[in-house]
Amino acid sequence: MKTVLILVLSLIGCSGSIDEPVSYFNVETPRPFGYVNGDEISQRIIIETRSGITLQTGSLPAKGPINRWLNLNQITVKQSGQRYQIDLRYQVFYAPLEVKVLTLPGFTVQLSQGEKSVGKSIPAWSFTLSPLRELVVRQTEQGEYLRPDSPPSIFANDRALYGLAASLSVAALITAYLGYLYACFPGMSRRTVFKRALRKLSGLSKADMELALTIIHHGINRLNGQPLFYKQLEDFYLRNPQYRQISAELAWFFNYSNRYFFAVGMIVVAQDLQQLKDLCERCRRIERGSQ
Amino acid sequence: MIRTARHISLWAVLAFSLAAFVYSAALVYGIHQDNNLIRQLISGKDVVINKVISGEPELRLARAFYFKQKHRYDEALSTLSLIIDKGDKKFQAKARYNLGNLYLEQAMQQIKATNMHEALPLAGLAKQAYRQALALDSSNWDAKYNLEVAMRLLPEMDRINMPDDDSSVNQKSQLWTTVPGFPRGLP
Repeated sequence: MKTVLILVLSLIGCSGSIDEPVSYFNVETPRPFGYVNGDEISQRIIIETRSGITLQTGSLPAKGPINRWLNLNQITVKQSGQRYQIDLRYQVFYAPLEVKVLTLPGFTVQLSQGEKSVGKSIPAWSFTLSPLRELVVRQTEQGEYLRPDSPPSIFANDRALYGLAASLSVAALITAYLGYLYACFPGMSRRTVFKRALRKLSGLSKADMELALTIIHHGINRLNGQPLFYKQLEDFYLRNPQYRQISAELAWFFNYSNRYFFAVGMIVVAQDLQQLKDLCERCRRIERGSQ
Repeated sequence: MIRTARHISLWAVLAFSLAAFVYSAALVYGIHQDNNLIRQLISGKDVVINKVISGEPELRLARAFYFKQKHRYDEALSTLSLIIDKGDKKFQAKARYNLGNLYLEQAMQQIKATNMHEALPLAGLAKQAYRQALALDSSNWDAKYNLEVAMRLLPEMDRINMPDDDSSVNQKSQLWTTVPGFPRGLP
């Protein structure tokens, strides 16, 4: 009885099921039929090893021709912990006369733990390959039927056209906006009030002070939409806040105008006309939006 | 100050967009010219060689296409050999497929003239070109078909022996596979 027990325990110990180096193994293959000459066949091998056991990537088949009719185009190994995912992409170059069974050859991968090494065989995989053409060749006027040359592609100009349209649109929009800012459009006379006033002032001398003052008054009135007087300046600034920055100059203008038209014995100097021109210049810059 | 900066940036963007417009217009014009050259070559009319030399590889492919149409095989071969490694994978696959067709058509002509010694290397080169084309683009059905034509024309020397293959049949097959050409009818 004792002997039998020792024998059973020894057999369990020698079975190796506990020390199996691979905890999970699977070969994922596509359909085994319906392939033709030149097709690529992918194969995925999943190996999960016990801890401390590593896959020797050098034992995997090398990229290139396996035999006369089979090429290994790509082989990639992804490792995450003890899990190895081996992706193989074969390509078949065989012209069968009828549907034929072919086999992707199996191989052995080496797993190692320290100096010890153990092999895990990957089984061969069979599939069927079909012919693409009939046994008796089809004849054309030129001889045997062949697929024609591939004509060169016409260049796509979509991206260039999109670029053209986009750049043109941006240029047009910016031009329109600048035109608006510089008052280049008809009907935007409110933005050219001081432009015209400045032009009229340019040829005047201090003897034409009355005309100069009238020109600026007309300009300000036109901008305001109605005649503007000194006391209404605050309302004017509320409606046109950009002109508040020249409030001192505008106040001087209204005072000077009052004195010129209503005071007696007013003496005009060239400096006054220059100040009016400067005021008009600043108003012009404000209406253009550059100040 | 901010307004001045805004004006400067607006003018800068305007200048940039105008430059982009000129560049895009030149690009569209160039593409239009190249497409006209390709269409002309495909329709069987030759073009000035300088335009092809200075242009994209597609123009050379179009010129090789034209030479092949005119049966000027040597010129087509030299044109294709200049662009065989140019362009992306799709283009390379196309150039190699057309190269395979060039070799295969010549091989067939040699077989018709019973010049087997001339035909064998040409058929081998055709197979090689088709294999390379398919390695680059395995979805090219025309290359698959013509490779099969070339493989039937010049079958592989070593047969695949399956366990259920009869040895006597195998021996018979090996005899005819070494002779290039197509079977003309069923027994």
